[in-house]
Amino acid sequence: MTAISLRARSGAVVRTRRRGTRQWAGRVGWTVLGWVVAIAFFLPVLWMIITAFKPEAAAETWPPQFTFSPTWSEFSSAFATIGPFLTHSAVATVGSTILVLLLAIPAAYALSVYPVRRWRDGLFFFISTKMLPIVAAIGPLYVIALRTHLLDTIWLLIILYTAMNLPLAIWMIRSFMLEVPNELLEAARLDGAGRIREMGSVILPVVLPGVVSTGLICVIFAWNELFLAINLTTTNASTVPMFLVGGISTEGLFIAHLSAAATIASVPVIVVGWIAQRSLVRGLAMGAIK
Amino acid sequence: MAVLDGVAAPARAARIRPRGASLRERWLRRLPLLPALIYVIVVTQAPFVVTVWYSFQNYFWSIPKPARFTGLSNYSTVFTDPAFRGSLLRSVIMTASAVIIAMILGVLLAVLLDRKFFGRGVARTLIITPFLVMPAAAALIWAHPMLDANYGLVNYLLAPFGVNHVAWLSAQPLLSVIAVMIWQWTPFMTLIVLAGLQSQPPDTLEAARVDGASAFDTFRELTIPHLRPYIELGILLGSIYLVNTFDAVRLMTNGGPGTATTNLPFFLYQKVDYAYDIGGAAAAGVVTVVLTIIVATFALRMFARVFRFEEARG
Amino acid sequence: MANVKYVSATRVFAKDTPPALDALDLDIHDGEFMVLVGPSGSGKTTALRVLAGLEPMDSGRVEIGDHDVTEVPPKDRDIAMVFQNYALYPQKTVAENMGFALKMHGVPREERDRRVREAARLLELDDQLLSRKPRQLSGGQRQRVAMGRAIVREPKVFLMDEPLSNLDAKLRVQTRSQIAELQRRLGITTVYVTHDQVEAMTMGNRVAVLSDGKLQQCDTPRQLYDNPVNQFVAGFIGSPAMNLRTAPLTDGGVSVAGKVLQLAVPIRNAAATAGLSELVIGMRPEHLHLAEGAGELTGQVVLIEELGADALLHVRLPEGGIPIVARAEGRQPPTPGREVSLHIRPEDVFAFHPETGARLAG
Repeated sequence: MTAISLRARSGAVVRTRRRGTRQWAGRVGWTVLGWVVAIAFFLPVLWMIITAFKPEAAAETWPPQFTFSPTWSEFSSAFATIGPFLTHSAVATVGSTILVLLLAIPAAYALSVYPVRRWRDGLFFFISTKMLPIVAAIGPLYVIALRTHLLDTIWLLIILYTAMNLPLAIWMIRSFMLEVPNELLEAARLDGAGRIREMGSVILPVVLPGVVSTGLICVIFAWNELFLAINLTTTNASTVPMFLVGGISTEGLFIAHLSAAATIASVPVIVVGWIAQRSLVRGLAMGAIK
Repeated sequence: MAVLDGVAAPARAARIRPRGASLRERWLRRLPLLPALIYVIVVTQAPFVVTVWYSFQNYFWSIPKPARFTGLSNYSTVFTDPAFRGSLLRSVIMTASAVIIAMILGVLLAVLLDRKFFGRGVARTLIITPFLVMPAAAALIWAHPMLDANYGLVNYLLAPFGVNHVAWLSAQPLLSVIAVMIWQWTPFMTLIVLAGLQSQPPDTLEAARVDGASAFDTFRELTIPHLRPYIELGILLGSIYLVNTFDAVRLMTNGGPGTATTNLPFFLYQKVDYAYDIGGAAAAGVVTVVLTIIVATFALRMFARVFRFEEARG
Repeated sequence: MANVKYVSATRVFAKDTPPALDALDLDIHDGEFMVLVGPSGSGKTTALRVLAGLEPMDSGRVEIGDHDVTEVPPKDRDIAMVFQNYALYPQKTVAENMGFALKMHGVPREERDRRVREAARLLELDDQLLSRKPRQLSGGQRQRVAMGRAIVREPKVFLMDEPLSNLDAKLRVQTRSQIAELQRRLGITTVYVTHDQVEAMTMGNRVAVLSDGKLQQCDTPRQLYDNPVNQFVAGFIGSPAMNLRTAPLTDGGVSVAGKVLQLAVPIRNAAATAGLSELVIGMRPEHLHLAEGAGELTGQVVLIEELGADALLHVRLPEGGIPIVARAEGRQPPTPGREVSLHIRPEDVFAFHPETGARLAG
């Protein structure tokens, strides 16, 4: 009635190798496809970076050159003038993102942890402001900005970018807060945490990754924003996108110079996005779905 | 007395309502919401109110005369202006095709990235890059180093297929702009759908294997229904952003040739920046807002599931 | 309807780790209800998944109905599986869930519906439930739908992976007997995995006890209880568990707390032949009787667990260690703190090798 197990070694190696080959071939197929697609998507960015290192003469050739002697010259000429634009962009981006988070975190808390009776309407209201195209109000916005002496100031950009990103930030942070288990909050309440303390010491640490990824998305949208900048700023608050638009003449040879400027403009956000990729993916997809 | 009490008591008990939160408690709960709410109302609704006011004015920035009330004349201009209707139509075409194609590609790419393969992490990093590139930079890069008739990379890559120095921006302006929109937003769709794929409970997939479903069957019967809310969210969010596309139009074709790629944002921009017609732009803007509300109400009713507001706890 | 055979089935998850399933040899008869039981990590779920084809095998083979199915994909093995968390398709109705496999095999609509309704009736699922989605059902209803999905297939083998573990205690006991009865009616070979030895003992025709990927013993429940083949099986089967203690050998038996506990002659001979100086002895609680004064084990009662019909006495021996558990009549159990004396007949004492755990003179 008992079973005696004898180990049989001979079959093991053959089996694994046979199965392994089939699996391996499938993997190779997907790898090739995956990399072809990835390179196809990345190619324009790669081309931009390559072209940025070309001397102008080498950039406008047929066929396009893949080998050339790289130079920093286009970068240095771009850097010479891009300084103030970078500063303005940095201030506007960081400033508006901080303001967004300061406003969004309490709002998301109110909409998630405690039931506000018309919370559904509140959330919908925020989202609806995003649906109305900002372009519709650009004329009157210009006039208002002029009359309030905010035209061509960083403050105007900070104010507007905050309004632009706030709905999405509230939605995302709220979704992250909903994931905090009830038990955690109840335990904190039992331990005597008041409302603010509850939020600060209990919820915030748990949703911090979500807050970070929300902040990153706000940074991306604010840094890249063109329409408002181009209409409401000229010199004192002009941002990097405007440098690209206004600062590059399209007369004569310009492709390498353009590529260098575009690279400088895009690299900060690309690098940030790459580093925080996991957080970004989580925030974008998970935070928005619940 | 006892009998009367017995009769009265149940009725009184039935009328007792459960004690809700006190008034102070309720206001305290709303408090954290107020700063954001007030901020948004002031910053977005105030300009909108001003827009509506200006829409009834005759106000040209270039003419030194102050604004003059002009009734509905701006609105009648808007409705009779073929340029407005054209830009509306083009907005719809550009947004719809970009969103749909980006979502289809997004699903395919998500399926691809869901499989394990060598260097998958790096591949994913490369694929999400277009979303991170500054739209202005993307527009300029595509316009010149990529699509240039004489020096462009695209012509070079397509030459073996018989494509001969095509001037994309003038010959196929709409296609070029839409291509850039798709290039930039496919990663967004991919990430959302990928999150959906990865949230599928693995044991239902195993159950399907045991039940005899092929990979294709499983995808059609289980995965696509599971992905539906994710796809709907992607389409909704993507549409919101794509309908406002400005950078690519301004920097690649400047709305042209002629008005071939003029969409609504660009049309309004031209009204303000070139015609200096504040009144006209305001009226067009109001009409746009009204149309958006109508479309959004339809869309939300269809995509009601997206707003899966969980019951807030408390 | 078919028999199932594991021949030297081995599964290793990662290189250089001990196998999750170590050369399992098991014969399951046609129509039998075989329970695989063991603690977590014992390999029972792996064994089931290997039979299902959800995990590949690294060596050995598995046969269904005398056909080698080792390389055959799950859908062609003619098996049906009930998953621990039910794995119901969330966007499909109950009827669609149950009919899914038939649809995948090309069974026409009317026959699908007929079989689904039959299975629903068998499981006492109301007609109105058929059009609901899984999230609208209770846990017990979901469990029955999962079973229905398997029954509808009329497969050669049923595989069940701890299907009762997510139910509350009362429902579990109820459903246990329902499953056992269902299997008797349908007569389909069933392989059932559980960590709960009570489930194993009450449901199985035979029970296979696994530990660390190896089969310890495969026998009827009664045989497992009366004749465990090693210390692991003896300690695992039976509730409350058998009392196990290491004790040095002495004249006539072993020495426990200063007294001599007599052992049967065959055991003493086996111990002498093996040259042992100590043994692990096992005593079932129901074999320990209260003896007025002259018992082999004396100690203090530290805890009494009242079960109604009888009571469990936890008796701590003077030498310390884990208290011995003995079963006593429920009517007049001794009070805690009292000194009691327990007697056990030598032929009721089990003895195991202190290193290998094998039963001596079984």
